[in-house]
Amino acid sequence: MIEAGYELDDKFIGAHHQPVTLMDLVCDQGAEVDRLLRHTGLFYHEVAAGRALASPRQYLQLIHNARRLYPEPELSFLHGQRLFPGHYGAVSALLGNAPDLGLALAVFESAQSLISPLLTTRVARAGDYCCVQWLDACGAGDEYRFLVETMMAGLASVTRWLSGERLPWIFQFSYPRPAYPEQYRVHLGSDLHFDAHMDAMLLPAGYLDRPWPRASATARALALRDCENDLARLGFRTSFIQALYDYLRQRVREPVSLEQAASALGASPATLKRRLRRQGTHFQQLLDRARKHEALHLLQLHGYSNDQVARHLSFNDPTNFRRSFKRWTGLTPSACRRLLARTLDRPDPSARSDEGAC
Amino acid sequence: MIRMLHLHRWKILAVATLANLVLLANLAAGDPKGLEEIAWLDIAGEGGAALLAFLWLGLILNSRPSGRVTNYLVAGLTGIFIAYWQDVLDEVIRLPEAVVWDHWVESGAMPLGMVLLTLGIYHWQREQLAINEQLRRRERIFREHRSFDRLTNLTSAPYLRRQLAMELGEAGRAVTLMMLDVNRFDHVRRQLGSRDADRLLQELAELLLLNLRQDDLLCRYAGDRFAVVLPGTGEREATLLAGELIAAVDHFAFKTRQGETRLQRLDVGLATARGDEPDALIERANQDLEARREQPAPA
Repeated sequence: MIEAGYELDDKFIGAHHQPVTLMDLVCDQGAEVDRLLRHTGLFYHEVAAGRALASPRQYLQLIHNARRLYPEPELSFLHGQRLFPGHYGAVSALLGNAPDLGLALAVFESAQSLISPLLTTRVARAGDYCCVQWLDACGAGDEYRFLVETMMAGLASVTRWLSGERLPWIFQFSYPRPAYPEQYRVHLGSDLHFDAHMDAMLLPAGYLDRPWPRASATARALALRDCENDLARLGFRTSFIQALYDYLRQRVREPVSLEQAASALGASPATLKRRLRRQGTHFQQLLDRARKHEALHLLQLHGYSNDQVARHLSFNDPTNFRRSFKRWTGLTPSACRRLLARTLDRPDPSARSDEGAC
Repeated sequence: MIRMLHLHRWKILAVATLANLVLLANLAAGDPKGLEEIAWLDIAGEGGAALLAFLWLGLILNSRPSGRVTNYLVAGLTGIFIAYWQDVLDEVIRLPEAVVWDHWVESGAMPLGMVLLTLGIYHWQREQLAINEQLRRRERIFREHRSFDRLTNLTSAPYLRRQLAMELGEAGRAVTLMMLDVNRFDHVRRQLGSRDADRLLQELAELLLLNLRQDDLLCRYAGDRFAVVLPGTGEREATLLAGELIAAVDHFAFKTRQGETRLQRLDVGLATARGDEPDALIERANQDLEARREQPAPA
């Protein structure tokens, strides 16, 4: 089965929650609220009364307007730093009372529609590293990089606040080095890797269960119950695209067809195609994304060899795998492994075997 | 973007009235020409010149506060505009031979306007020199108005990189780059709130400027991190200067909106140029700052 998920035009984001944080930030810099809300379909008196629900599309339009009115590259980082734990009801209490990093990340993963409606989070623990990956929830288009900057700054800031220490995150970005690296350097940290095929934050796994000082167990238990009620009322935890991606990722060893995915959804293939098109993607793109991310995880974090990855992904022969991998990333598996090994400061495993041969 | 025009309501009204009076005087004294008599090329040329003079007037008014220099510039440009305006009207209205004042408007307003404009530009230059003196330590060598940071009015990181490229190009001169940031600013921002935290950065910028030498340059790198270019300065001298800045910030009692005092500490990193590129020098200074930040403060 595929979990229920929201789409670009579903109205469920409290406009007085995260969107207001951005509105306040931009209006503090002298922008007019009417211009900020132009074409969003939101009205200030409804937002201020706490009644307005926004769709992801409306929130994205607000971000688009905010970037035009305050065209400084620091905007996303400042927005992120103001987001969490926030005042978004039960989910903020749940995050603010997380007893350790592992459970804080679990809030982002399992209550994603409440805490991060535009980017989804997937956490993987592999070997001695924990990898927090950020994915486009429902078609962010041109605002995607802004969202990555926002959420990474947000997570880095809130975990520093709750843990009381600066966590040594390693940051990995799918896009090239931007024209304003200083913002990344100061707001995120020194360990930055661009052109690295995934938008992810990595940390030694030992940090996951170190106890944090601020948590209250009772407050957390209450917040957890309320949060589950909120999610049940919404009817979804994550986006439709993410739910389908998760389904494909779980079945990454057995190639899934469009027809199979459609029947798992209880819909016709034509309906599935239409729903995906509405959010600017298509089935093959999602399937490729799921397989690419699986391959990158296996190469970088589990230390698989190229052949092992190819077998894991059910490729019949290594040449085929190399060709597909090159289509996904623009690199050969070996070149990509070297690149990713550098991210983790690890000696390149293939280089080691070369030395052995000498 | 209309920013300053509201300061000059009376000047705008005066220019409009003057232009209207000239028009009315022409209409009262003469008759409109027939279409076949009008030299369209002359109208385009003289009308274009009048339009441009009017545009200059608008740009000047919108960019300047009231004052002596502004008055000279406006009076001068008004003279030029009126002279061209009369020129245009001559093309469409025939005045009787007996009328001579139109020549006075044309030939008198132009040189008078030129003289006043010259006077205005002369004083403008004097004023600019005074402003340059005030801007020292905020900019060096070249000016780029797009690179000012909105919050602190300091120059930003792109300016720093270009500035360093020029400084490092001069062979044989020691340059040290200092990076500064507020210890645990992330916590400070959460505790103070965004507005007070922003004001803290503004006031810190002023405080740092007060403690720098005439030739030093202060930039806002990003967030709470500032960069100081120290030309002609080696590592030892830079360390002394860094100590002075740390001491100044240690004794800076910032007041929140509630009137509470909030003290903070500065983290500092230094890098002296050894033939590196700007980016490499910035990177070394950042690394130095981050390495020192990890060490516990001396008791």
